[in-house]
Amino acid sequence: MTPGSTLEVSLWRAVAVFRLLTLAYAVGVNLYDLPNVAHPGVLVATLALMVSWSGVSIWAYRRWRAPVLVADLVCTVLAVAATWLVEDPQRIAAGEPTVPMVWAATVVLAWALAWGPPGGVVAAAVVGAATLVQRDGPSGTTLNNVVLLFLAGAVVGYVAGLARHAERALAESVRLAAATAERERLSRQIHDGVLQVLAMVRRRGTDLGGEAAELARVAGEQEAALRALMASAAPRDDGQVDLRELLAGTRAQVSAPAGPVLLPSARAAELAAAVAAALHNVDTHVGPDAPVWVLVEDTGAEVVVTVRDDGPGIPAGRLAEASAAGRLGMAQSVIGRVRDLGGSVDVVTAPGEGTEVELRVPR
Amino acid sequence: MYPAETPRVLVVDDHPMWRDAVARDLGDAGLDVVGTAPDGAAAVRIAAAVHPDVVVMDLQLPECSGVEATRRILAALPATRVLVLSASGETGDVLDAVKAGATGYLVKSASAGELLEAVRRTAAGEATFTPGLAGLLLGEYRRLATAPAGPQLTERETEVLRLVAKGLTAKQVAARLVLSHRTVQNHVRNAMGKLRVRNRAGLVRYAIEAGLDTD
Repeated sequence: MTPGSTLEVSLWRAVAVFRLLTLAYAVGVNLYDLPNVAHPGVLVATLALMVSWSGVSIWAYRRWRAPVLVADLVCTVLAVAATWLVEDPQRIAAGEPTVPMVWAATVVLAWALAWGPPGGVVAAAVVGAATLVQRDGPSGTTLNNVVLLFLAGAVVGYVAGLARHAERALAESVRLAAATAERERLSRQIHDGVLQVLAMVRRRGTDLGGEAAELARVAGEQEAALRALMASAAPRDDGQVDLRELLAGTRAQVSAPAGPVLLPSARAAELAAAVAAALHNVDTHVGPDAPVWVLVEDTGAEVVVTVRDDGPGIPAGRLAEASAAGRLGMAQSVIGRVRDLGGSVDVVTAPGEGTEVELRVPR
Repeated sequence: MYPAETPRVLVVDDHPMWRDAVARDLGDAGLDVVGTAPDGAAAVRIAAAVHPDVVVMDLQLPECSGVEATRRILAALPATRVLVLSASGETGDVLDAVKAGATGYLVKSASAGELLEAVRRTAAGEATFTPGLAGLLLGEYRRLATAPAGPQLTERETEVLRLVAKGLTAKQVAARLVLSHRTVQNHVRNAMGKLRVRNRAGLVRYAIEAGLDTD
């Protein structure tokens, strides 16, 4: 997560508030206790260190995260250790709290926030050890406090991780929703504006003839290209592809069901390649501007694609002849591909009646 | 072939340039353009006032959609016919318009001559269709075949639709199947008409079907 993200900023702000509240508490209690301590000068100096470090650290976290965290731990250990100089051994043994008191937990929270549960546990171990050393061994309350430190480190680290993950997930879903909305908005704009104008130029131009007809032809090509672009959708999660989308970019007039015709993407790609090869045949043998139609049917058990042209047709025996002569266009690129998919190809043709190539591929 | 009287036409399209161009083309060709409307709600209102023979209807409209406007206009004016002129390509919209009772469908890239011909045919009660629409109808009947009591195509109707979907003109279909042009027209009109959701019971059945279909 970036340091500037909203969640990160709020978490560090919460640590800063905790630091200031615990600082006020420590300063208040210690000043009240000032007449009773062995070395009031050292106590005041320690409190001054805590106050100034609190201010500096809150300001500096944003810039130098790691060095400030290390310095934070050092300052906390120093403040805890200062208890030795400030208090009589008897008072310490009697259970007098350390100078920073609960302020010392701030560094554990900060480490947990920055480096997760491991960071929190390491900081808790260091601060806990510094506290225990004062006591010449664990007493009931101190041990209790140290366990709480460990818990705070581990739990805060874990929760911060969860919160970051949740924020990332939220940001991602917001981004996706925005991208989808933007895509739909653009499609609508293009549909209502550019496509309408292109369609009109194509229509009026064709009627006017001459140079305008040439403009109409170009406008028509752009209209078809733009439509194909808008129709090309993202691949689906389940590895299936809508065959209609694969065929939308061809120059054929495609007739298809209203709903998607789904095939596993590899099979769909092979079938689309076979259709493209059949269309290429039309370009070669009938002409690149000859009208050509593609019908996509989904019978449930199989997908049937028919490519039809209005050309002169193929004389009987011509396909077998071409295949025997080593010209494998139709035989290899269409029939071979479809057979590899476990399907079959029917060619219906007669001189003067165009050619229909029917490709059947099982699901 | 066509009725002697001039067809009275209402042109509905939200794009002003298109609306005016279509109205002008039809007017220049001698048809009686009795009104134009920029959205579905206005189309329903104006149609109720002018009783057109043919409504040339865009599908993507503000206010109420072209499909909904088609349904309302045909409910109020059973003698009126709707010719869909859509830029949206062949999608579910077109199928919904046929279910709402549209008897003709043309894409906007069709020439002015084709549009004029289609409006005249629609006024005469004939179906206007494209290979794309035939493909949509075939797909829809296949889908409905899995539902109990859904409308079914006869074998002949399927045969005709498949040929139309493969780009054969009505004349070529008639020649291929050795039928009259009129018989081919009837098959296509029946294939479209059977999908039409006519009454409340039909609407309920359609809604249940559609609901069951969305998994």
